[in-house]
Amino acid sequence: MSMFRAKKLDLGCFVKARTIRDHTKRKVFEEHEAERQALRYVIRNTTLPPRTRATAQLQLSQMHCYTRPTQIRNRCIMGGQGRGVLRAFKMTRFNFRMEAMAGNLPGVKRASW
Amino acid sequence: MSVPRARLLDLMKAQCQVFATTFNPEGIRMGNKVLRQRLKGPALAAYYPRKLASIKDVKREFGPVLATWDDAEEDRFEYIEELKQRGKSAPKKKKGPPAPTPGKKR
Repeated sequence: MSMFRAKKLDLGCFVKARTIRDHTKRKVFEEHEAERQALRYVIRNTTLPPRTRATAQLQLSQMHCYTRPTQIRNRCIMGGQGRGVLRAFKMTRFNFRMEAMAGNLPGVKRASW
Repeated sequence: MSVPRARLLDLMKAQCQVFATTFNPEGIRMGNKVLRQRLKGPALAAYYPRKLASIKDVKREFGPVLATWDDAEEDRFEYIEELKQRGKSAPKKKKGPPAPTPGKKR
């Protein structure tokens, strides 16, 4: 959502709308993580009164969807793609192949035996 | 040889004191596993590379003091000069309000 988005672009990689959105979600989640964990603790604690736990449940479910970690998806930093992204290189398989064959990824070489 | 339960509980209590864990012999769910989890927000937020300072930014900050050059910008100016010589550059900016078109009916 636009109220969370940075006023000035702060990404140095390939930029498209979905990348900016994902980046915003990451920052919002980081901001609200402690609050979410506190609510989760109250919900899981069976020694607390049921009313407190129910209100905590409501609060957690009514937080903005951008504060949820499940909204975050790894995207390619070279092309902004959301599918087939290798986690260790933050790149799609095709971009990974291109970069690896150009020799830009240290320690990566073609398998041969 | 059986050990009495009370003794075992005492042992557990001492263990909890030593290792600074909560003593919970009945196994009641206290939600402590949530508190034990590490925060993963900083790691997630650092996924995309952030924007670094560009030559334009440096020029804007230290414009009169520091002299630097911008290869890309110079290339662009060169290209525009080339276009101008061939007469292919952008038209001149118009001055004054646009003249009313003659054949237009109201």
